[in-house]
Amino acid sequence: MEPQSYARMPRVKIRELRDDYARFELRDTDASIANALRRVMIAEVPTIAIDLVEIEVNSSVLNDEFIAHRLGLIPLTSDRAMSMRFSRDCDACDGDGQCEFCSVEFHLMAVCRNDETQDVTSSDLISSDHTVVPVDFSDATIDASSDGISGNKKGGITIVKLRKGQEVKLRAIARKGIGKDHAKWSPAATVTFMYEPEIHINEDLMESLTLEEKKEWVESSPTPVFDIDPVTQQVMVVDAEAYTYDDEVIKKAEAMGKPGLVEINAKQDSFIFTVETTGAIKASQLLLNAIEILKQKLDAVRTSLDTVEADDQFGELGAHMRGG
Amino acid sequence: MIPSLPKLVLPGPPEILTVLLDGCIVGGIPSSEVEKVVAHIRRLKVSSPAVIPDDLEVGYVPLSMGGAYPGLYLSTSPSRFVRPVRNISLPSDGSENIELIGPFEQVFMEIKCPDGGDGGRKSSFPATHEEIHPTVMLSVVANLTPWSDHNQSPRNMYQCQMAKQTMAFSSQAIQHRADQKLYHLQTPQSPIVRTGSYSKYDMEDAMILNKSSVERGMFHGQIYQTETIDLTEMGGKSRKSGLTPRMFRRSNVNKFGSALDADGLPHVGQLIRPDEPYCSIYNSERNSVQTLRKKGTEPVYVDYVAVDVKNKKDLQKVNIRFRQPRNPIIGDKFSSRHGQKGVCSQLWPDIDMPFSGTTGMRPDLIINPHAFPSRMTIAMLLESVAAKGGSLHGEFVDATPFRGSVKKNNEESESKSGSLVDDLGDMLRKKGFNYHGLEVLYSGVYGTELTCEIFIGPVYYQRLRHMVSDKYQVRSTGTTDQLTKQPIKGRKRGGGVRFGEMERDSLLAHGAAYLLHDRLHTCSDYHIADVCSICGSLLTTVFIQQQKRPVRQIGGLPPGRAPKKVTCHACQTSKGMEAVAMPYVFRYLATELAAMNIKLTLKLSNQAGA
Ligand SMILES: [Zn+2]
Ligand SMILES: [Zn+2]
Repeated sequence: MEPQSYARMPRVKIRELRDDYARFELRDTDASIANALRRVMIAEVPTIAIDLVEIEVNSSVLNDEFIAHRLGLIPLTSDRAMSMRFSRDCDACDGDGQCEFCSVEFHLMAVCRNDETQDVTSSDLISSDHTVVPVDFSDATIDASSDGISGNKKGGITIVKLRKGQEVKLRAIARKGIGKDHAKWSPAATVTFMYEPEIHINEDLMESLTLEEKKEWVESSPTPVFDIDPVTQQVMVVDAEAYTYDDEVIKKAEAMGKPGLVEINAKQDSFIFTVETTGAIKASQLLLNAIEILKQKLDAVRTSLDTVEADDQFGELGAHMRGG
Repeated sequence: MIPSLPKLVLPGPPEILTVLLDGCIVGGIPSSEVEKVVAHIRRLKVSSPAVIPDDLEVGYVPLSMGGAYPGLYLSTSPSRFVRPVRNISLPSDGSENIELIGPFEQVFMEIKCPDGGDGGRKSSFPATHEEIHPTVMLSVVANLTPWSDHNQSPRNMYQCQMAKQTMAFSSQAIQHRADQKLYHLQTPQSPIVRTGSYSKYDMEDAMILNKSSVERGMFHGQIYQTETIDLTEMGGKSRKSGLTPRMFRRSNVNKFGSALDADGLPHVGQLIRPDEPYCSIYNSERNSVQTLRKKGTEPVYVDYVAVDVKNKKDLQKVNIRFRQPRNPIIGDKFSSRHGQKGVCSQLWPDIDMPFSGTTGMRPDLIINPHAFPSRMTIAMLLESVAAKGGSLHGEFVDATPFRGSVKKNNEESESKSGSLVDDLGDMLRKKGFNYHGLEVLYSGVYGTELTCEIFIGPVYYQRLRHMVSDKYQVRSTGTTDQLTKQPIKGRKRGGGVRFGEMERDSLLAHGAAYLLHDRLHTCSDYHIADVCSICGSLLTTVFIQQQKRPVRQIGGLPPGRAPKKVTCHACQTSKGMEAVAMPYVFRYLATELAAMNIKLTLKLSNQAGA
């Protein structure tokens, strides 16, 4: 008997790519892989975040834990995270910030000496490592001087505001971590995918509608999926992916007494991903890292003794997993 | 026949009513004129406050059978309660004619609700005044429920109770306050709530919180507690100087082991665990140091130490404020503003939460839809839709109740819109969302579409101050009552939860005899008593101390314990001694009875039913 091959050759097509945003198609695979990728991107791609804070002076209005929590949530540039060590696995130190392999030290010193309220922002953090710095959110397209929202010209994340005489002085240690342990280490703001819809309009049934009815039916979708051709007055699909599987048009067709007017199916093997990052790593890097980590996890399964024992149970699949 | 009693003529209505100003009689008014006068005073009160103060209370008590004494009572004194109503008896020439009325006069006034109706007055008692808005009949707390007119009324009552238990951003000046206990929420905000049973962890009003949202700061809060230490109140004033012998000072003995400062006070920001000292007081008379230790089961941070420097020479009074972080944990209580309270049953990671395919949103909180049908809190659903629409459009939505009744008055200003739900649904539709607030979500665990549409939207949730860390109770063994040797009650003292009569009944009904015996006897006041089978007494038994014989040491083994000899004091023999297991309270009962000259005897037998 010819052993059945479970191998799939998934394809990725990038639609849009910015530093903190990516939209791509993932085809020829199934929901398990798509969701595994989503879950790994959110919870298991490592980044660097402040994990230990030693407060020397804090006379601000916020208490120590509050400031420490806010510091933890500041995204730090984490391109180095994949090659860094977890401080719990580091044999060079005990994770106190003395070791370059597992930790990065930050200092923050801010005193307000003016009558105006002073913002202490993430850009006031002084890093011991120039590769690990707070993410710069200042938009180059907006003129820094015309930013009238907060008067915050530096474009950092506000940590605390100080009035005259108040002071914050602290030492913080950033470590590598994953989103599973704490959400501050999650590099993803949003990772989502949708199934690609397949829309078939029953043309014959559609032509039995008047123009008014067609308009009414097209309007029934909250998102612009369908439109009417101004010339031929035919209903056409303008943006299939705008469909949110809300079934509004199907319900509308049934209400109009025309069931089967349109048939919409979700393709089970193609997904459209949307990835937004916190800025800690680039969206493209997030995807590559996620695939790398997924591979490592599969390797762990493959080499595990349990898997070899379970060969009887899984048979060919087990052999396939080990590269058979 | 001539009646013996003089003929009594019933007095008619008084022709003159007395007028009192701030409690003093200033004159009288013919009762036929008084209503005109009252109307005139009210007109002047509204139109020319320079002549008549606008907070004048015109308490006109009309003539009535068995009612209050009639008269015109005018009050001008300060610090009276007043509230605004609209005077509709005056010609409205563009102005609102707002009149301030007091509690005394309002019971004799005809004030109608501005719902378009007349409140059943018809033409017999025409209304002279009108409320500004229908919601003024609600209290301040009741007014905080959005669209309370869409809720079943008991739920609104529950919410009014619950609103008082919420944690909030209660003060901007926490730094400078010394409250006994203050609950503080770090960031008040509306979580995204999803209804739908996702796993079984949301049954019976439990809810699932998104762990990642909590890690990002949702519902974070703390409790501030202030401990006041006043040395002058501790007694022991010396006669000469009038000063106490006490002062704040650290012990010189274990100077380095102590986390306290040299002045006996803690450092700001220091962590103090239960039973650790937070303050040390030196007594110069006795040359001793007393330390105050933190009670409770949870560690606290020292938030602030305030010293009272009224007494310039030496420090006598100190306020130490502690801060206890209280971030959400399983068992904490939360509630929406519709009497829908529940307890957090799980903290789930972001990735396991269902997500929206289009927006990628994950809910912060999941509740079970069974919370709705029986309770009929429709306003909560409306709040969710409205908040969703409002956040999409970036605007606030007015959720004042009794919208329909107000609309009748200024119909022109309102658009053609029909029902409230239509307005809210259109808001969602304009932004490409489902009209009813439903969304298609995908399972966070499997990545597959959830087969039903799910109602999701932001709802304001309150963190209630009932937290498990204040309530949890646990005991395996511990202190027992001195008298009965039974476990004590009370969470503070490490006591147990009572296994009472009803619990006993249920175990009996189940036939769980062994468990019953275990709970009520073995784990309670198990006791082996020596009973004299001859006289049946369990109180007359005495131990006879065995004469100490030289015990031979056998190869390093501890000396064998000499057997206890028990005899009956009454029978002067140890022949009939038997060991019987019984609850210790039974022995206590026997002694109590003995104190009342009642003898309690036991008949011992090996046969059942003997
Ligand atoms: Zn290290
Ligand atoms: Zn006896």
